Amino acid sequence: MTDFDVAVVGAGVAGLTAARVAAESGLRVVAFDRLSPGGQLVNLTTVHDYPEPGGSAESWPVVSELVARAEAAGVTMRFDEVTHVRAGEPVRLETGGGDVTAGAVVIATGLGNGRLGLPGEEALVGRGLSTCAGCDGPLYRGKAVAVVGDDEWTAEEALELAELASAVTVLVPELPTWSAARAERLAAADRVAVVTGATVTAVHADGVLEGVTVRTADGERELAVQGVFPYVGRRGPAGLVEAAQTDEEQRLVTEDGVRTAVPTMFVAGDARARAGQTMSEAMADGVAAGQAAVAALRPVTGPSLTIVDPTSGVLPAEEEAGSLAGGTAGWTQVALFSNSKPNATELLQGMGERLKEHWQLADLGFASKPNASTAADKDTIDWLAQCYRMVLVAVGD
Amino acid sequence: MAPLVVTETFLPLVEAQAKARRLTPRVLVVPHPVGGLNGAELAGRIEAAAASLLPMADQARGTA
Repeated sequence: MTDFDVAVVGAGVAGLTAARVAAESGLRVVAFDRLSPGGQLVNLTTVHDYPEPGGSAESWPVVSELVARAEAAGVTMRFDEVTHVRAGEPVRLETGGGDVTAGAVVIATGLGNGRLGLPGEEALVGRGLSTCAGCDGPLYRGKAVAVVGDDEWTAEEALELAELASAVTVLVPELPTWSAARAERLAAADRVAVVTGATVTAVHADGVLEGVTVRTADGERELAVQGVFPYVGRRGPAGLVEAAQTDEEQRLVTEDGVRTAVPTMFVAGDARARAGQTMSEAMADGVAAGQAAVAALRPVTGPSLTIVDPTSGVLPAEEEAGSLAGGTAGWTQVALFSNSKPNATELLQGMGERLKEHWQLADLGFASKPNASTAADKDTIDWLAQCYRMVLVAVGD
Repeated sequence: MAPLVVTETFLPLVEAQAKARRLTPRVLVVPHPVGGLNGAELAGRIEAAAASLLPMADQARGTA
C-alpha cells in the first residue's frame, strides 16, 4: 500500500486546487511545498484579473482560502522539498523528510525565479537582485531600479516599484506582451521608462549591485541601478522528474491537457508547457489534474468499479445488462459516433450518406469523442442510446 | 443497433471487449489504416464499407 493515493508537488494555486479536488473524492492526498503554501501569490501584494477579468484581490486572503479548503477536504500539508520524482507504480518521491510513495502525482511546482542568465548573478540575490517587488520593494525606496521582462507580471511589478523607487526602467527584451490597459498605466506612471529591444549583458557590483549594462539597437550603455528585478529566464521543473518530456523553458510537456505520457503523472499550473500563467488557468488546471488523478486511481481505489480484463472479461450484472436496452426511437433515427481518429468522421459521414440515401432519411445525428485519446463521455453514450435506433460507430485507426 | 466500423487491426480488441460484456456486435471490418488516406483512397473504403452496411441495416430493420 502506498503512503498516499495522490501526492501533489507544489502548494500554489494549481497544487492546492488539485489536492483539494482529489481529497474531496475521498483519496488520501499530501501536498508538498518547500517553504509555505501559496506559490507565486506569496510574492504578490495584489492578485490582478481575479476573481474576474479587470478585478483584483489581496493575495493573502486568497492563499488562506485555498489552504483552508484543502485542509478541510483532508489534504495533508508537508513542508519538505521534493528533490526527485520517480514516475511509476507506485510513484516515488524523494523529499527532505524521506521517501514517500503515492499512486499518482501532480506536478504543480510553477516556475523558478526569474534570472538574467549572467555570471555572478546568483551572488547578488538579496544584494540588489530580487524577484519580488512586494517583498523587497521597500529596500529600494528612493533608489533607481530596473525591471526586466515583457509580460503582465513585469508591468505590475514595475508599477508597484514606481510607488517607492526614484526611477524604474523597464527593460523589455523584444516587445511588451502586457495589455493596453497596463501600457496606459505604465505610461501615466511617474518615474517609469520603458525601453524595448533591451538586453542586459552584464551586472556590475561591489558586494552589492551598482549597475547593469544594457544593449539595444543603438548599442550598449551603462545603467546605474541599485536593484534589478528579472522576470525573464524562468524555468520549469525539468530536473525534478525523471525522464520527463520538457520544452525549451524546461516546463513539462503534456499530451492532453494536464496528462503526461505517464498514466499516473499529471501537471498543473505554470509548470505545464504552454500554460497561460494566469490565476484562473492555474485553478482550472488544478481542478483538471485533481479529477484526472482520481480517475487514474479509481479502478484500484474506488469502491464501485471493477477491473475488467478485456481478453477474458467478467459477467455483467443483470441490471447492467438491462440498462443496455435503448430508448423508443424508430428506424428513422440514425446517428454517427466518431472516435475522432483521423478520417474516422469522414468515413462515417460517407457511409452515413449512403444509408441516408438508401433509407431516405431526413438527417443523421452525430457525436464524437472530445479527442481520440480520451474515453467516450458516458452522457453522450446515454444520449445516443436513448435518442437513436441505430448508431454507426467508428473503432480503429 | 450499433454497427461498429472497425479497422482490421482493432478487430481482436473489439471481439475481446464484446466477449467481456457478453455482446455480439455487428461489425464492419475495413482495411487498416483509415487515417492518412487521401480522398480517393477514402472513397474506396466508404464504398466497400457501405456495400456491407446497407444489407446489414436492412436486415436489422426487417426490410431485407
